[in-house]
Amino acid sequence: MTDAELVVRTRAGDPDAFGILVSRYYDACWRFAYHMTGERADAEDVLQDAFLRAYLAIGRYDERDQFRGWLFRILTNQCRNALTSRGRRTRRFVQDEIALESAPAPPLGLATGVEDAALVRALSQLDPLQREALLLKYAEGLEYGEMSAMTGAGESALKMRVKRGSERLRTLLGRSLE
Amino acid sequence: MNSDRESARRGPDEPNDFAEFLDDAALVARIRASYAGAPSPEAAQVARCTTAVLAEALHTPTHRFGGALRPRWWWGAAAAALLVVSVMRPWQPEVAVQRADQAFVGAAPAAAPLAAPVGATTASGDAVRFDLMLPNAAQEVALVGDFNGWDEHATPMVRRRDDGAWSAKVPLSPGRHVYAFVIDGRRWLVDPLAPQVPDGGYGPANAVIVDGPR
Repeated sequence: MTDAELVVRTRAGDPDAFGILVSRYYDACWRFAYHMTGERADAEDVLQDAFLRAYLAIGRYDERDQFRGWLFRILTNQCRNALTSRGRRTRRFVQDEIALESAPAPPLGLATGVEDAALVRALSQLDPLQREALLLKYAEGLEYGEMSAMTGAGESALKMRVKRGSERLRTLLGRSLE
Repeated sequence: MNSDRESARRGPDEPNDFAEFLDDAALVARIRASYAGAPSPEAAQVARCTTAVLAEALHTPTHRFGGALRPRWWWGAAAAALLVVSVMRPWQPEVAVQRADQAFVGAAPAAAPLAAPVGATTASGDAVRFDLMLPNAAQEVALVGDFNGWDEHATPMVRRRDDGAWSAKVPLSPGRHVYAFVIDGRRWLVDPLAPQVPDGGYGPANAVIVDGPR
């Protein structure tokens, strides 16, 4: 069953159809949210909020859009909200340049189920907008035009975020990339 | 002229040397590897999310659905469902069960007045009996909570009468217990009249407290 058919069924009041959409996209959304927030629990909360908003807004979903892109637009907003909210509460990550620099570089092609802890930590120290741009560009493989439509930021600004984010990330990861 | 146009297209925060920026292949590979290598969420996590979203949406005012997603009739029926948590004082007079609203400061008050008197049921033994009046044609009702791992198959409720009276008896240790009902295997329901607890990841739920011997 296609995403469009599931959306139609959801709009008709069939919650099971939405459950299928959640199952279909949870994994992809979770990887993004986890790398954005750096915390599994936060990522899970973000996803729950994002899917709830998607469910409530599905009447406004335009079938001409890709469901995944539409969902990620909601997800990126929820990640921003969560990070803003968390920033008010506390800073979770301790600045520890020595530990970061001494973290070994994992081999390319990590074993499944093993995330790159040093990278996740370094990402968490980036400006959230730079982190978001880096993940959308490199991890999600989006073009700048798609990123612009998703985030509302101009392409120039997004390119700048990717550039500066890359430079900062390289600095944070230090020797481990060399 | 062309240079001016190019500059205008670039925007104020894009430097002239952006064209010289090349994606760092090692960095891109490392990000992608971490992305792919992150452990997949467990199936229970996905199910928890789905359940919480649908349970939350069930309590959302219908106008937020924009008309296209108006709740079906059973949602209204669920809102009218009645619950009685039986409080037992089994074999020791000092053992009591309190409703969470009597024990928690700030607990949500009952959501709506009863349309009819609520009967109370008591039972003997080291257990709490949950009664639910469900004025619709549910085929099966299950009790889920922290005491059975939120497993909808663990504690099926028994239909007491044809008028929608369901009940289940569960041995509970002293302490605070959170629970909800699952109608026909997929519709989650909280008792609108019982105190509700903050969403702990499973969606809205009710709470009951079992006090041990003092």
